[in-house]
Amino acid sequence: MARIATGILETPLDPAAELAAIAGQDNSAGGVASFVGQVRGEAGLTALELEHYPGVTEAALARIAETAAQRWPLMQAAIRHRVGKMMPGEPIVFVAASAAHRREALEAVGYMIDLLKTEAPFWKRVHTEEGSHWVDAVDGDREAADFWLDQIASEDA
Amino acid sequence: MRITVKYVAALRDRMGRPEETVDLPGDIADSEALIAHLRESDAAAEVLTHPSVRLIRNDAIVPRPAPLASGDTLAFCPPFTGG
Repeated sequence: MARIATGILETPLDPAAELAAIAGQDNSAGGVASFVGQVRGEAGLTALELEHYPGVTEAALARIAETAAQRWPLMQAAIRHRVGKMMPGEPIVFVAASAAHRREALEAVGYMIDLLKTEAPFWKRVHTEEGSHWVDAVDGDREAADFWLDQIASEDA
Repeated sequence: MRITVKYVAALRDRMGRPEETVDLPGDIADSEALIAHLRESDAAAEVLTHPSVRLIRNDAIVPRPAPLASGDTLAFCPPFTGG
């Protein structure tokens, strides 16, 4: 049974501390994979603000990590996501998985970040010196999530 | 029946309000009929017809059309953009 740790943070996310809670914690794990998403410093961007839907978001993150742990033989799975205002370079999201072998850990991390993009209710707002605007959804994100869902559906068939 | 309607993120800006309580005629049974009803009194509600709009009914993300019952909270959400 994998250990699952998911949650929303309103204060800065520390990827090194999050990774330390997984790497080196389990002698049977041969690989730990992780992904850190951070605020991309684009021209004019002064801050990125993340809004979410309290209650539903936490449940969505837990469900995504649990589904990954059912799909791949993981020892641990973690998803931590920031909300609120962040500066360029600040971490937004941390995703990690540990498993006996690297492929399971890497694939599980890819699955979790791709599903999170389309299945967890977060919305990004960009602040610039001129004002602010909501970020549009990216078509490629839907396709990335569909890739995993199609693959899982074909394995189940 | 009476339901609470929420407008989230960009849809909150487009609708000009975060939420409202709506008293519905008895023949309105799902999210799509609700949208049609909202459009009768507010042209801005046309934005809710866009297929990319997602629904959260009470505490669950649900597909469209979503059935409605008295006392429900239905949130209209733009596509998710986290991660």
